[in-house]
Amino acid sequence: YRDLHTFELQAPTRLIEWARESRVCVAGYGQSDGNEILQLIPPPTLLTKETQGLCPERDFKVECGGFSERPVYSLKYVPDTSLLVTSGPPDSSLQVWQVSAEDSDVIKSVSSIATENGTGQSWAKIATISARAPWVLHGSRLDRVQITEVESRKNVYTAASGGSEELGGLAFLDCNTLLLCCATGRLCLADVRQPQSLVEAGSVPSAPCSEQWCMGTRHGAQGSEPSSQPVARLSSRGLLTLTDLRKTSEFLALAKARVPSPGSEFLCVSWAPALEGCLAISGFDGTVHVYDTQSWDSSGREAEPIFVHKGHAFGGAGGSGDPPLVTVHTWHLQKPRTLLSAASDGSLHVWDWVQPCGKC
Amino acid sequence: FTCAGAGQDVGRSCILVSIAGKNVMLDCGMHMGYNDDRRFPDFSYITQNGRLTDFLDCVIISHFHLDHCGALPYFSEMVGYDGPIYMTHPTKAICPILLEDYRKITVDKKGETNFFTSQMIKDCMKKVVAVHLHQTVQVDEELEIKAYYAGHVLGAAMFQIKVGCESVVYTGDYNMTPDRHLGAAWIDKCRPDLLISESTYATTIRDSKRCRERDFLKKVHETVERGGKVLIPVFALGRAQELCILLETFWERMNLKAPIYFSTGLTEKANHYYKLFITWTNQKIRKTFVQRNMFEFKHIKAFDRAFADNPGPMVVFATPGMLHAGQSLQIFRKWAGNEKNMVIMPGYCVQGTVGHKILSGQRKLEMEGRQILEVKMQVEYMSFSAHADAKGIMQLIRQAEPRNVLLVHGEAKKMEFLKQKIEQEFHVSCYMPANGETTTILTNPCIPVDISLGLLKRETAIGPLPDAKKPKLMHGTLLMKDN
Repeated sequence: YRDLHTFELQAPTRLIEWARESRVCVAGYGQSDGNEILQLIPPPTLLTKETQGLCPERDFKVECGGFSERPVYSLKYVPDTSLLVTSGPPDSSLQVWQVSAEDSDVIKSVSSIATENGTGQSWAKIATISARAPWVLHGSRLDRVQITEVESRKNVYTAASGGSEELGGLAFLDCNTLLLCCATGRLCLADVRQPQSLVEAGSVPSAPCSEQWCMGTRHGAQGSEPSSQPVARLSSRGLLTLTDLRKTSEFLALAKARVPSPGSEFLCVSWAPALEGCLAISGFDGTVHVYDTQSWDSSGREAEPIFVHKGHAFGGAGGSGDPPLVTVHTWHLQKPRTLLSAASDGSLHVWDWVQPCGKC
Repeated sequence: FTCAGAGQDVGRSCILVSIAGKNVMLDCGMHMGYNDDRRFPDFSYITQNGRLTDFLDCVIISHFHLDHCGALPYFSEMVGYDGPIYMTHPTKAICPILLEDYRKITVDKKGETNFFTSQMIKDCMKKVVAVHLHQTVQVDEELEIKAYYAGHVLGAAMFQIKVGCESVVYTGDYNMTPDRHLGAAWIDKCRPDLLISESTYATTIRDSKRCRERDFLKKVHETVERGGKVLIPVFALGRAQELCILLETFWERMNLKAPIYFSTGLTEKANHYYKLFITWTNQKIRKTFVQRNMFEFKHIKAFDRAFADNPGPMVVFATPGMLHAGQSLQIFRKWAGNEKNMVIMPGYCVQGTVGHKILSGQRKLEMEGRQILEVKMQVEYMSFSAHADAKGIMQLIRQAEPRNVLLVHGEAKKMEFLKQKIEQEFHVSCYMPANGETTTILTNPCIPVDISLGLLKRETAIGPLPDAKKPKLMHGTLLMKDN
């Protein structure tokens, strides 16, 4: 490690979202009422380039907070607005909130975006963009994907149905292109301007037993083609596939991560924004693995991580109950090797690793 | 209830409570950011016609930090108050030292005139009545107070103020997590009508203690490894002890040879405080101290001023804490010019002190005789002083079960979220007054009523038989005259 800071949230979070001016947002996912959404100001130590050892301002500050009646499983800020959108069980509707940090420190519930409540609907995955207008892309299943204008709550796009599988994730590749990842691993592309078409973008190796998949996308340099960035998919068995969207008939790379046991609901894979070819995975235990994918091929061989963050596994209360499980991780947007990770025991870690010689 | 200071303001704590006709002043702090009369609380809020001794039944001071007791001599000797002032024993011992230090800096160094004198501090302390933890003190026939352990610093207490069946609990500054030398704050389920809690750190999510300590040790180690000297100005027992134990353990583990010194001025005072201090720690910590004789560390020795000129690495703990005079300043002057050296400031420094200047980034200091001192040594700041965060505040409310909560010591708009959180979780009202604002809280007074046996028998004959397990609620009308 180059640096490690550990914090304890009052309630565990399964999301860490970056907001304007380096703010970070976390939220509770407990079953009962009273889950808090907290927008935090990170300590100045994290905002500066160099590490300052004993700087007095080492703490996160809660800038504002809100109360959610339902568990918050997903949260996205709506760019260019002071709004954010959340989703969570028991259904696939979305809640819209207003953040007005100047006047008060309360994040107010503004409205909700209802969706058809079919049977077996779980919570919606969400992505936001502000191109033509502030939009939220959402859906819990492949046949229920839509884009809603956040402020007017008007539906502006409904995706063609390609099946009723549950979604593992979705993303805007640019203001017209959508990428949908099913929990089965199947990837689909859609174009907002052509509502009837849904293009297959690659499946995954079939597995002996059912496994869940999630995806991670990366934004390239300003102006580059969004589809030039490979899409990573992670399975609950630890299988990792990299796909180039311009050539979906084959895998760019295929590798296996060594995992102690299958992960389930907290699977997370993300690309480093400032390091070429680096990605991180978590959700199997109390660790976060960092990999350099540049040496990977399509053999499906086991890959060695270049760094493993074990902090959450050691930080626990010691013997009481299950060891903590990492619920989410994210990369710092500017500092190349800094990550934030959270676990089921309420811990929140910020860590910076030293690059092993020669690589990355 | 009126906030004369600390309402929505981090700086000077001074709260006036009116409870069942009694008037109590809680804390009497100095605002560390101002140089003029704004540093003192505005006592004109209390009473228009001046006689504070008649108006106030007592004054309570929660702990020795200047933002809680700094204005006390001004209040009692210059504004005028002759009634009792309550505080814990360690607070009574340590307060006058800090006040005298502060007076010296303000008057001698900064040349101010409208300030209290050394004699005033002495006269003020004569009015102090020291209290023990959990001891019920009768201020008069109706008013009683009780101190509870608050953690935070040596001698800090939370106070319960009770008149008949109405009560208020004032927390002062407190901490709900124990550290190496202080336990966590604790209070029983006293169910006060009002809990007044500080909320300075309510919005903070603190970096873990382990990380802070690790970084402190890393800095000290790096400096010593490159042959530099580390100066740690400290005030007295408490934090210094904690840091000593930390360094001693680290030195032992890493088999380090560089000497660590503890200045002698500290040892004399420390022995005195040690006796006070030992009753203020919990069992576990007491055992640690009893096992080791306070200054019998393997790696830490008494300092001699000649050692400051010795070549090679070393670590020195010296007083006073803000580098404003004495030994720590002397050592600082010798070591400041070498960039291999480091000074680690352990806490807040008052404006005007060298400590404050170097923490603000000043690197060229004007010393006596117009000499310029160039500071090339590394300057670090580290704070181990602990306050309750949001989680801690919720824990305390859960322990005490107040009917109402009042938050002080924070910034208004930043407390709205916490206010809602408290109201939602505990179903109590939460207030956040500004300076000068009066908050009125209605209480349900309990009036004990006697009932004649005949009347009782007649009442129980009506309706279902009394059940031993279920209390029977009886209704009646109370007629009072001349209330």
